[in-house]
Amino acid sequence: MSITLDQVTKHYGGVPVVNDVSLDIGDGEFFVLLGPSGSGKSTLLRAIAGLSGVDHGRIALHGRDVTHVAARKRGVGLVFQNYALFRHMTVAENIEFALRVRHMRARARRQRRQELLRLVALEGLDERLPAQLSGGQQQRVAVARALAHKPEVLLLDEPFGALDAKIREELRRTIRQVQRELGITTVLVTHDQEEAFAMADRIGIMNLGRLLEMGAPHDLYSRPATRFVATFLGAANLILARRTPDGIQVGATTVAPAERAAGARENEVVAVVRPEEIEVAASREELSSGYLARAVADEVVFTGALERLRLRLEDGALTPLLAYGDGEANAALLVTRTQHEQRGFEVRPGQTVAVGVRRVHVLPTPLSSFTACAASAPQAEALSRQPLLTELAARMKTRIATRVEPQLGLAEAPCQGEDTFVGTTVIAADAAAAQAAEWLLRRGARDLLVLPDGARAPQRVLIHWIGEAARSATLAVSASVLRHVPAEAVYVGIFAGPEGSAPPQGMRELLDARSEAQAAHGLEMRTELHFGDAEQQLARRLAESPGQMLIIGVSHLGEFAARFRTLLQGGRWPVLIVHRGAA
Amino acid sequence: MSFRSPSILPGFGLTFGFTTFFLSTIVLLPLAALVLSATSMHWSDFVSTVFSARALGSYRLSFGASLLAASINLVFGFIIAWTLVRYEFPGRKLVDALIDMPFALPTAVSGIALTTVFAQNGWIGRYLEPLGIKVAYTWLGVTLALTLISMPFAVRAVQPALLEVQRDLEEAAETLGAGRFYVFRRIILPTILPALLTGFTLAFARAVGEYGSVIFISGNLPMKTEITPLLIVVHLEQFDYQGAAALGLVMLVISFVMLLTINLLQAWGRRSQVRAAN
Repeated sequence: MSITLDQVTKHYGGVPVVNDVSLDIGDGEFFVLLGPSGSGKSTLLRAIAGLSGVDHGRIALHGRDVTHVAARKRGVGLVFQNYALFRHMTVAENIEFALRVRHMRARARRQRRQELLRLVALEGLDERLPAQLSGGQQQRVAVARALAHKPEVLLLDEPFGALDAKIREELRRTIRQVQRELGITTVLVTHDQEEAFAMADRIGIMNLGRLLEMGAPHDLYSRPATRFVATFLGAANLILARRTPDGIQVGATTVAPAERAAGARENEVVAVVRPEEIEVAASREELSSGYLARAVADEVVFTGALERLRLRLEDGALTPLLAYGDGEANAALLVTRTQHEQRGFEVRPGQTVAVGVRRVHVLPTPLSSFTACAASAPQAEALSRQPLLTELAARMKTRIATRVEPQLGLAEAPCQGEDTFVGTTVIAADAAAAQAAEWLLRRGARDLLVLPDGARAPQRVLIHWIGEAARSATLAVSASVLRHVPAEAVYVGIFAGPEGSAPPQGMRELLDARSEAQAAHGLEMRTELHFGDAEQQLARRLAESPGQMLIIGVSHLGEFAARFRTLLQGGRWPVLIVHRGAA
Repeated sequence: MSFRSPSILPGFGLTFGFTTFFLSTIVLLPLAALVLSATSMHWSDFVSTVFSARALGSYRLSFGASLLAASINLVFGFIIAWTLVRYEFPGRKLVDALIDMPFALPTAVSGIALTTVFAQNGWIGRYLEPLGIKVAYTWLGVTLALTLISMPFAVRAVQPALLEVQRDLEEAAETLGAGRFYVFRRIILPTILPALLTGFTLAFARAVGEYGSVIFISGNLPMKTEITPLLIVVHLEQFDYQGAAALGLVMLVISFVMLLTINLLQAWGRRSQVRAAN
């Protein structure tokens, strides 16, 4: 491996800007770090270059641990967005800078310079000053300068940001060509997905300091695992659907999912439908794909090769739309059509059309939507406007429904509404929260968020489960939550018995939990060890500092209310209960 | 170029008029009077006044101490500016404000303050005395006073230039393998050199013209600790206006030549950079 990052973490003012990032980049690979501004991608690149230290974790280049090695001894080449050429030096002096530092002889220097200038197609400009070059030429000089000392790794920090479109394309090609010719491991940071697609062997997508997903461009585009990647990498319609034994039920149609999820029971899921996978026709009969709903064309935009439509689903369409591309939550369905499709069926604004879906991808996330549940409508309304809940929903691009259960918490009383619970149910952490929680869990709620009044997004999420049956679901839910809040994840291992009495297999468990979270869910977490009674220890740990949240898995509900009273009615921290029975 | 050529920016005639008017009335006219007054002397009187041993001693002290003070400020002014620009520390704003104190203080006050501290029985002077170091009433004291009052010029000239040095450049140099000293010498210094020179020039000019603070700490011994401005005042007190004007003329000429040299050097430095480009 050329570059190995192991749990790299960097805080600024207590907020993690790079949060537990682990990554392996192979020899000669062109890796693109893609993310919106503020996602931590540039900080990560600077950490690799050695220009900013890390608070936690390890960085290795070609097997050599360089975590505490100064930038000048790391042997990397770095290209900046604003070129960072030495303005008082000529092109030749700029390129030879690294060689001069290394006391190379003038003759060898000149030879290497000529080589590099040819490589970036700038022969003959040796004696110019940077100010006399165009932006594209300056960036070429910067690339040549960064390569002069034959670094093992080339790092590019938004190198095309300051250039106009045409020059950008040209320079992109040059850099890709140079990279292939030299076979040098390269990391490029950008916020431009088109650039990432055009250049990358592999793309890693960052948001809120976490590396969410990585993979080949095509895989990431066709099978994203997270909402963020689905909507950031190209446009996507997110639709709430139901997983049934026959397939994925989207609106009026049931489509076989692109990939089978084994053993998944019937539940609500988030489906991704790319704009190009949607078909429109005059009527249901003329569709060649599964019928979704009828819709009205709100907007028709011609963009050259493609036509873009915004469709508004007609009232009564069963499918709740969550969002599309830009994260705008409304009822518009985004469609792109090729020239060929346009010729087959022309659409005008205001026209009513039948909409079909060709291909559906289901996100593996267990959190689909939220339902605020309370004994009265005003209470449910107030609960649905809690800051943490609205923030989570906005970040997850999902919706918050309300549900009234007048007999919430009364033993033996039946459900008022339909007796299935979809998505995550939310209740207030009031004095009867433990009873209400048990009541809901016993009636089928699987994920239950107990929310204290005014709770904010946590800085630390503690993770624990009681009963192995809840283990994998707890990890999946935790991973999903942590993709949407910039918090650190801590797995709390608790052993019954006095301090220091941890049995060897207990330690194993701890490490296994960590590696499972990493392998199956891409979730990096720390581990902590406590001794004694689980509920008590968790309550004590949560009371230690503000800004914490608990995600707890439970597999049996025996004496639930009694056991969890202190945890749920403490009133200061949010608790997300993941209930998965043994059978 | 014709003065009447149309320009995109209007108002050239008006502003140029004001510039000439102000320079003439405020700078050139008094200077001309000085030259005129000095030249009305008899040639031999002029020479004997200007080249008297006492006058020569005062030139040496005035210009020598000023050069030394400006050089000290070149180094320490840079360090102070560097600290203020590059580091965040509690009280930074306060230190920044302190820099300007010598501007605001009447210079006589600075002189009295320095004398209090450095006189033989002063706070610091009493500890230097046993070491054989005398500050007050020696050339050392003169230099100290001149350093104090010209310090803000050096700091304030370098500060904006340092602010403009892009951190990116230093980081780029670092990733290319350069050590700190190398980065300073090859990247930072060339960028701020013009500002450093300007700071030096301003500090020097201020020091040469200084009077108030020096007379308290120098002791004013002829040939030893007497600066030229003081000698001029001595002449004035004896109603020897022509002698004072003659000494003034000498200072004027020397200062002008030195400042001109530095300015030319700077212009030459800029031009050679541009020439290297073509």
